[in-house]
Amino acid sequence: MRRNIKLVAAFLAVMLILLTGCMGGGKSEPGGGGSGGGGSGGRTSASGLDISQRVELQFYMLGDAPVDLPLIEAEINKMLVEDLNATVKFNFTTWTDWEQKYRLLLTSGQPVDLIFTAEWTQYQAYAKNGAFLALDDLLPKVAPKLYAFVPQEMWDAVRIDGKIQTVPATWKEYVTFGNVWREDLREKYNLPIPDSLENVEKYLAGIKQNEPDMIPLAANGLFHTPGYYDFKYEPAGVASYGFPYGLYIPYDDPSNVQQFWGSERHLEDLLVMKRWMDNGYISRNVLTTQDTAHTMLVTGKSALMMGDNPNRWNSTNQDMKSTHPDWELGYYPYPLKKGYATPVHPIHNGFAIPISSQNPERALAFYELMVTDKRYNWLTQYGIEGTHFQVTEDGYYEGLSDSFKREGMNGWAWRNPEYMLFDESFEAVNEIFHELDKIAKPDIFTGFAEDWTPYQAERAALEQVRQQYLHPLEVGLVDDVEAGLRTFMEKAKEAGLETIQKSYTEQWLNYLKEAGIQ
Amino acid sequence: MRARAMSRRRGFWHEVRKNWVMFLMLLPTLLFFLINSYVPMVGIYFAFTRYNFADGLFGSPFVGFENFRFLWQSGKLIQLTLNTIGYNLAFIVLGHTLAIVCAILLSEIGARFFKKLAQSIMFLPYFVSFVLINVIAYNLLNYDTGFINSLLVRWGMEKLDFYSISWIWVFLIIFFYLWKYLGYYAVIYLAVITGISDEYFEAAKIDGANIFQRIWYITVPMLRPTFIILLLFSLGSIMKGQFELFYQLVGNNGLLFNATDILDTYVYRSIKVTFDIGMATAAGLYQSLFGFVLIMTVNYIIRKVNEDYALF
Repeated sequence: MRRNIKLVAAFLAVMLILLTGCMGGGKSEPGGGGSGGGGSGGRTSASGLDISQRVELQFYMLGDAPVDLPLIEAEINKMLVEDLNATVKFNFTTWTDWEQKYRLLLTSGQPVDLIFTAEWTQYQAYAKNGAFLALDDLLPKVAPKLYAFVPQEMWDAVRIDGKIQTVPATWKEYVTFGNVWREDLREKYNLPIPDSLENVEKYLAGIKQNEPDMIPLAANGLFHTPGYYDFKYEPAGVASYGFPYGLYIPYDDPSNVQQFWGSERHLEDLLVMKRWMDNGYISRNVLTTQDTAHTMLVTGKSALMMGDNPNRWNSTNQDMKSTHPDWELGYYPYPLKKGYATPVHPIHNGFAIPISSQNPERALAFYELMVTDKRYNWLTQYGIEGTHFQVTEDGYYEGLSDSFKREGMNGWAWRNPEYMLFDESFEAVNEIFHELDKIAKPDIFTGFAEDWTPYQAERAALEQVRQQYLHPLEVGLVDDVEAGLRTFMEKAKEAGLETIQKSYTEQWLNYLKEAGIQ
Repeated sequence: MRARAMSRRRGFWHEVRKNWVMFLMLLPTLLFFLINSYVPMVGIYFAFTRYNFADGLFGSPFVGFENFRFLWQSGKLIQLTLNTIGYNLAFIVLGHTLAIVCAILLSEIGARFFKKLAQSIMFLPYFVSFVLINVIAYNLLNYDTGFINSLLVRWGMEKLDFYSISWIWVFLIIFFYLWKYLGYYAVIYLAVITGISDEYFEAAKIDGANIFQRIWYITVPMLRPTFIILLLFSLGSIMKGQFELFYQLVGNNGLLFNATDILDTYVYRSIKVTFDIGMATAAGLYQSLFGFVLIMTVNYIIRKVNEDYALF
């Protein structure tokens, strides 16, 4: 009996140790790392930062980690220990459920030192909610080089509530939309270049006629609708913006906010979609198919994709050519039709320091190295020279390994134009960029930080209504378009569309006034 | 009254002193539930605040029931609740009835090899994930290349666009649910049947009961406690109805929402655009509360009928 009790007690003791161990593990002690790190008392970095304590930085990026990430991480850490007495752990969220993971990273309070931001990760909303550290004081002190490197107007452009909360990327690119089509098929059947809606329709009809097994338009869910609207109307500004809550905001006259949903124009567009569906240009499975629009194009199922940016067009083209060398993709940028192009807004790619960070100084100093130090930059953008890539005689990038491709760490945010290497095929994109440079105008939309707290219940309800009643209309799956649109408008109003529009318009006009746009 | 309570309390401590080893052994389990199930309940407070990062959980402003508003803002709460309950009732009733029938049939099969084979084949779909079920359904039902539509065309009939006819999905969803879970529940019931002592059956045989009488008067009553426990378990999660099944099969196809939208999918879709932790918590709280009320009611009824079968 006594022995039994001893056994039980021992077992319980072990259990308790395990439990406390688990609980303690979650909190990493500041300046931890125990032995080894603490010894070098009083060390300072080149910029005068106190680096006497060894720290580990948690770096978070969206997407999938490259296969050879551990190699890169080891190389980086070798240098980083020297420079800042720190190590970095590169974490990737993968693309599955990244939105939830991103939210959790910021809300759970786990220590994150650097995290990617963009307008499509809701940077403005998070910043407004106080998720990120204000960098205004920290930047000149800890990362003077970086502070000088990024132009002042870019710093100003990313300010939310007057505070810099992310470090923007400086490479000027265009992520404006365009039409992507099978140039080889167009030539074969002598079809017009799809540079206007009329020609798009002629092209689709020609494909349907000559290649009856193809579904001419690469459509998955609503992939093509923002493209279609952006193509037809000039306002859409930033690609992903579309019509906020059904409001039409012209670029040239942004304070003239108009109704789009339910209008004559809207009905007209929905009828076009219906016609396309009836003529067999859009798959009837459009709302359920699992194939992405890119896949449909690359595998030869479809022949036209609406709404893709120059860079992606190029990579899709290269992708396709690796399996079908005789196929060819053409590209027509929408800005040419609209007469102006908006270069990417600084908010589009950035890195922020969440307020949960325990080493903001070191994190920022490290990020400065990633951007401004060529060794760090090349390692994290292109991999190890000789193993993963080499520079050709003409100065182009040449990939050597699939384990770390060009920008394999999705390093869009820490691109440094001075160090950037391009694939030879990128010349085609550069050509488009040069052309767009000629008609460049500033992006007025992305700087707007919408605050939806006053109408978040309505917003959530509206989203459901949109999916249930508007999406089927927008892909032409509803037989009676007019009645369908009426139902949608009724339901949207019940969900509180008018409340949302009113508050949104107010905020928008305020923003225009504050930003000094007209 | 008071004295009795006192003595009972003393009795408890006495009990602890006497059986402290047993209580010590219980401790890890208690701790487990405390840490994993009770402490996190603090988070319920999120449902009543407008969360912001600077102030955290308890510093954020209190907003009362504001976060619950989106549930009824669209006027869909009742329809969603009814859909959710309807589907789950169908799952529970059909699922368990069919599982019991299958289990009885299996138990009456004499040939050992065939019995094992049938059991395994029925059990296999349980391991198929909902993502795969969606792929299967899509390839069977889609309009352009689906198996069924190809057959219809070959037989000279009109194609049927399953993905735009919402009422069909009521049956399809129930069908796929049963297909996936039937084998699993059948095995549970089969295990119970195997545990019934042969003496009952032999005695009944001697008394002249035929096979149907033996099933009706012996097997079925013996399955009742298991059925009730499984029923209570599934009732508790009735409001959490099978998110994956619905979301994978229906996805974002708005044409089918009227017949297929349940609370989970609605909440998921609404909050996906807002990422609001307060609203998400509010929805979860509503579901849990509803489940709690439901399980207490059913348990109460069961206890009235037969106290032995009640959970608590």
